[in-house]
Amino acid sequence: MLKMTHLSKVYRTEVVETYALRDFSIDVKEGEFVAVTGPSGSGKTTFLTIAGLLETFTGGEYLLDGADVSGLNDNARSKIRNEKIGFIFQAFNLIPDLNVFDNVEVPLRYRGMKSAERKRRIMDALERVGLASRIKHYPAELSGGQQQRVAIARALAGSPRLLLADEPTGNLDTQMARGVLELLEDIHREGATIVMVTHDPELAARAQRNVHIIDGQEVDIAEEPRFHADHATGSHA
Amino acid sequence: MEIGPILSTLRRHKITAFLLVIEIALTCAIVSNAVFLISQRLERMKMPSGVAEHQLVMVQMTHTTPARDAMARTQADLAALRAIPGVKDVTLASQVPLTNSSSNTEIRTDPSQKLPTLNATQYFGQDLIRTFGAQLVAGRDFRPDEYLDYAKVIHNLDLVRTQTSSVVITEALAERLWPGESALGKRIYFAGVETRVVGVVKSLVRPSLFEGDGGAQWSMIFPLRMDVNHASRYVLRTEPGSRRRVLDAAARVLRQLDPHRIILEKQTFAEIRTDYFRNDRAMAGILLGVIVALLTVTALGIVGLASFWVAQRRRTIGVRRALGATRGDILRYFQTENFLLATIGIALGMVLAWGINLFLMQHYEVARLPWIYLPAGALALWLIGQLAVLGPALRASHVPPVVATRSV
Ligand SMILES: Nc1ncnc2c1ncn2[C@@H]1O[C@H](COP(=O)(O)OP(=O)(O)OP(=O)(O)O)[C@@H](O)[C@H]1O
Ligand SMILES: [Mg+2]
Repeated sequence: MLKMTHLSKVYRTEVVETYALRDFSIDVKEGEFVAVTGPSGSGKTTFLTIAGLLETFTGGEYLLDGADVSGLNDNARSKIRNEKIGFIFQAFNLIPDLNVFDNVEVPLRYRGMKSAERKRRIMDALERVGLASRIKHYPAELSGGQQQRVAIARALAGSPRLLLADEPTGNLDTQMARGVLELLEDIHREGATIVMVTHDPELAARAQRNVHIIDGQEVDIAEEPRFHADHATGSHA
Repeated sequence: MEIGPILSTLRRHKITAFLLVIEIALTCAIVSNAVFLISQRLERMKMPSGVAEHQLVMVQMTHTTPARDAMARTQADLAALRAIPGVKDVTLASQVPLTNSSSNTEIRTDPSQKLPTLNATQYFGQDLIRTFGAQLVAGRDFRPDEYLDYAKVIHNLDLVRTQTSSVVITEALAERLWPGESALGKRIYFAGVETRVVGVVKSLVRPSLFEGDGGAQWSMIFPLRMDVNHASRYVLRTEPGSRRRVLDAAARVLRQLDPHRIILEKQTFAEIRTDYFRNDRAMAGILLGVIVALLTVTALGIVGLASFWVAQRRRTIGVRRALGATRGDILRYFQTENFLLATIGIALGMVLAWGINLFLMQHYEVARLPWIYLPAGALALWLIGQLAVLGPALRASHVPPVVATRSV
């Protein structure tokens, strides 16, 4: 589903060059549930943004669903994001001026779907996350856990094959985090490929496979047993 | 397009959206009225005078003391003026189109009529039709034997009351008095005088326009010879390209013939026209300034608000991009949003434009705003809105999708 080989990402500012990813390789199979862990600033988000075609990379190769994505233009990348990928962000990223229904509808509209079809999918997705009764609510009128569930419904509505989640439970308490994770497990069971960045070892443990990133490189977990301690430092380096 | 979500977003920013809508409405209303007023002024400035403007020059003079033998003086003047190289014809005219003095009278088509039919202006002057270059469309010019001396007539009206004298009128006057009929041979009565129409000219404008310019072309020409004590304007018809030279020569000749006179004015007809419509031109200029200023302010308002919204929604734009919006989708979002705001503003503006026009009609001499100005104003504002929003919208479309994961 997602295969990166010797991938590198360099951020250049006037003063410094930062290697956010360096000789990074990963292979996520169709239907896998992978948890990505690593210290703050190690390149987890960078990996996810490149995987989700939100950003380009500097070197190496990336095959998404078997296809090389490096030569695609902006519109083609938008189309892939829209049709194949669902995003779940730590900060939920709902659109504050749209109600729950309209928020879930956003990616469907960009797909040019008919109104009746959109409505069916929106209601199905909201049903899944248990918020079908809140379609008229605005994000500010929902709890954090509810907002994240709306965000998941938004990611689900387009039936993406790949779900990318960057610390989806980072802003939630344990109870709500567990609820969100159960939802992701459900979705996984139905066949979606999920890549989730998390600081929480308990959540990571529930994934099929863990990938650990340090300094922009994937490392074998056996060599780095103490990574759980890193989640206390929350800021970007 | 996503009109529904855009509208619900705008509903959550009511006050800002409302202010912009009001600005657009006011601009639309004022601009359509101002454009209409300008077009009316321009229309007025194009008013035909009926004379050969590009060939005519005029010298206006005054005498410090009345001339002793005015008619002899006049005939000598005319002969001298006619002798200037480049002069084709000369007349001493009682009045001249597009200057601000005129003699008018109320006329009847039937002497027993209680109320006059209308008020028309009267031109006197020997060879006036030929010199002015007024275009005869029916009948004839006056015969030399039809001319009477104006000075004699005003001292003894019986000279004209006892006989029927000739008159040449404009086509507009003829059509107004006898619609669909030939005016030739018809009678016009005024001040106890009976006149018979012997000729019709295409056009000859009333010197000072009035009655809302409706009767601007109601003019009559009588076969009366003016003299220097009763008229002050010599009008000369020139050969092409000699107007300036003829004017200078004419002024010199007139001063030589009678050193007691003062030349008040020497103008080509082009200058007379320019002078006459000076206020209209100034008003059109001011209105144009108002239009430009309003449109600029509105455009800047749109740019300002759109820029503010783009900055404020940067994160949201990134999220939309992450969810699959193309750059074009984002561009269209802001353009559609502007189009909706403009449309609401324009709809309000049209009602307002109509209201302003009603007010102007009641309080000033302004005609009803033709409906065509409303869609024209709407189009202008839609266009300006789209142009103004283009910069901010393009900036929005270049917000990278990665913003969704990075900025907090
Ligand atoms: N736009 C950018 N410009 C310059 N450097 C950047 C940029 N984005 C990320 N970086 C750098 O790249 C490195 C990896 O950042 P990334 O956000 O991927 O880390 P992370 O593992 O997600 O960290 P965290 O756990 O704190 O979210 C960091 O050193 C960061 O400072
Ligand atoms: Mg991160």
